[in-house]
Amino acid sequence: MNILLLSLILCLSIFSLIAKDLLHAVIALSAISILSALLFTFLKAPDVAITEAAVGTGVSTIIYVWAIRHTKRKDGDK
Amino acid sequence: MTNFILSGMKYFLIVFATITTIRLLLGPSASDRLVAMNVLSSIALALLILWGVTTKNVLYLDVALVYDIFGFLGFLAITRFLKNTKDKL
Repeated sequence: MNILLLSLILCLSIFSLIAKDLLHAVIALSAISILSALLFTFLKAPDVAITEAAVGTGVSTIIYVWAIRHTKRKDGDK
Repeated sequence: MTNFILSGMKYFLIVFATITTIRLLLGPSASDRLVAMNVLSSIALALLILWGVTTKNVLYLDVALVYDIFGFLGFLAITRFLKNTKDKL
């Protein structure tokens, strides 16, 4: 089961590297933090999971989206 | 019997998370990916509470609570971003 979660995290991180749209990459990063908080919980580290859930899902997603909103979106290669 | 049902629920929820992740990878627009991430968050919440019930430890319920509050803030930020864009969703 941990192997399955790790392979899902690997697929999502490869997708966030090769995604053309920045918002899709941010959504994939948020899903990565969801799955890694779940993985930390299964590996019996609930304090690390609390920190990952608070920082990874909430704060970093808000900061990334805020940074994308204040820059221009370049849609030339779609 | 109870432990058998709980572990069966755990594997079912892992399979659901896998299918939802495939939808998140394939979804053509940002709205599809956002809904897939919301469903994935609900599945993760159910898995955390299930793990807390299985191990009879109250600390995992705190993880689920903190995760749900901050995950809602992240969804709110992305939804506000989608409101201000004029392109196709």
